[in-house]
Amino acid sequence: MKKVVIPLAIILLFTAPWIVSGPFFVHLMIMVLMWTVLGASWNILGGFTGQVSFGHSTFLGAGAYTTMILYLKLGVAPWYGIPIGGLVAALIALPIGFICFRLRGPYFALSTLAVAEIIRLVALNWESLTNGPVGLLITTLPEVTFWGRSIDWESKTPFYYIIAVIALGAIVATYIMSRTRLGAYSLAIREDIDSAEAIGINTVQARVAALSLSAFFAGVAGGFYAMYLRYIDPDAVFSIALSVEMVFIAVVGGLTTVAGPLIGAIVLVTFGETFRELFLVGHLIFYGLMMMIVIRYLPEGIWGKLRLWFGTRS
Amino acid sequence: MDTFIQSIVSGILTGSLYAMIGVGLTVIFGVMRIINMAHGDMVMLGMYGAFLAPTFLRIDPFLSIVIWIPIAFIVGVLLYRFLLKNIVPAGELNTLLYTAGLSLFIANLVLLIGTGDYRTIKLKYAIMPLRPFGIAVPIPLAIAFGMAILITVALYWFLVRTDTGRAIRATSQEPEAAALMGVNVDRMAIITFALGTALACGAGVLLAPSLYLYPTVGEILVAKCFVIVVLGGLGSVPGAIAGGLLLGLVESLGAVYVSVPYKDAIGFVIFLLVLLFRPSGLFGVGKS
Repeated sequence: MKKVVIPLAIILLFTAPWIVSGPFFVHLMIMVLMWTVLGASWNILGGFTGQVSFGHSTFLGAGAYTTMILYLKLGVAPWYGIPIGGLVAALIALPIGFICFRLRGPYFALSTLAVAEIIRLVALNWESLTNGPVGLLITTLPEVTFWGRSIDWESKTPFYYIIAVIALGAIVATYIMSRTRLGAYSLAIREDIDSAEAIGINTVQARVAALSLSAFFAGVAGGFYAMYLRYIDPDAVFSIALSVEMVFIAVVGGLTTVAGPLIGAIVLVTFGETFRELFLVGHLIFYGLMMMIVIRYLPEGIWGKLRLWFGTRS
Repeated sequence: MDTFIQSIVSGILTGSLYAMIGVGLTVIFGVMRIINMAHGDMVMLGMYGAFLAPTFLRIDPFLSIVIWIPIAFIVGVLLYRFLLKNIVPAGELNTLLYTAGLSLFIANLVLLIGTGDYRTIKLKYAIMPLRPFGIAVPIPLAIAFGMAILITVALYWFLVRTDTGRAIRATSQEPEAAALMGVNVDRMAIITFALGTALACGAGVLLAPSLYLYPTVGEILVAKCFVIVVLGGLGSVPGAIAGGLLLGLVESLGAVYVSVPYKDAIGFVIFLLVLLFRPSGLFGVGKS
């Protein structure tokens, strides 16, 4: 079944803008895919190593600001800025990891929250670099020709393809990670960190590696966020709410699964964005509700549960 | 010198309210081992309670505390009984995520019912600050300070002197031994959660006239609250009181002597240092 479903899903991913039309639906799909990347990023750390981070907006913000500053101050085009933003986020993750991974469980979660708040305050006050609370704004994107045609940045379709590639990359990276030594170490750490330590796994190194990989994708998504919305400010990209949303998408979709973040993003973002169109505020109400339902009745997440059903049938 | 005394005074005034919120979180952690991410939203609900009091109940915002505390207690009982009771045995991290969901739900419900506007409460009697010995003391904060002390002392008396209080402390120290001694641990969990919720809500009522209120204010309050309880040692009531006062002082002194924009960051930096080097809290009384 996998052999049919996966190619079909990929074909659907790249033909979707021809099937559905209307700016709202394209925007919705872009948001779903962006949140898939963020959910996948959180899943790499939270799902595989079991370390709950409430500070992932740090990496999103780092990627967003790197992309934005490189473009505005040095004229580096966003398509180079986005991967560089991911790398910067991965680098920032190293010291954070070495500090915070001395703590375990809920204490780690609280420390990431504190780090994220400190970084938000720094971004808010380091005005020479970040322009402070005023934020940064891109007015025009550089002209690019693709197969002889100049790309129309006013349309949403080019952004859709960019984020589709990134999302595919994040999902593939999750799959590859789950097959490698790092994935096995991560699962051992998630199940029992003391035993993992006892059998000779360097748990700090493995967790830092997972965090860094996770931060890379959050940073890439952040860079895309900056380029797509063309405006960022510290409260928008470094907020606690963003970190929490990432957690929710990964958990609702299904932790430690490859496709979970995609399912989580489809369910939550579709509802959230539609809700935002209708009521303007309070679109996260459904996130909270779904989180409570999932933790209570479906601890393995929506995809985790579906996968179990498929597993028993075949 | 005047600035120094002034910032000490305002630090202690704000700190007393931080302490009250922190005590609520820490008793809940002590008995149930859960970190309640929705604690800040209970404070937020209290703040809105105070905001609505003059219009709907036609009483002073501060007086409305006598109505909101019992209501919050009942809400706490219901929340625990119908939502949290089944989650707590699933482990600390699941509870953390669950209460994060609850927090988002409550904040967005308020956002949806009301609006996201920043609101303030204007009190007729609180236009000019009091000036004893040349130190400016805002009247709303002074009243809140007095009431917070009363409530904290009452709670302390309850925990130390009454049978229920002793049972709560016993459960917090050693749940199994407490159960063997005939303490109904489940009942203690309900009472403690309700008590913590009532304290958070009460502190919200008292804070409301001194802060801006908006539906997501709980987010930042809960983060501060973690700083407070970790400073004092998770699970320790005296620790949370000291941690609250300390955070109040750090913020007000930091604003004067370090920098206004970074005053909130100082608290978080201290928080990280304490977590890393003294995980049982500055006074070494908490449980890690």
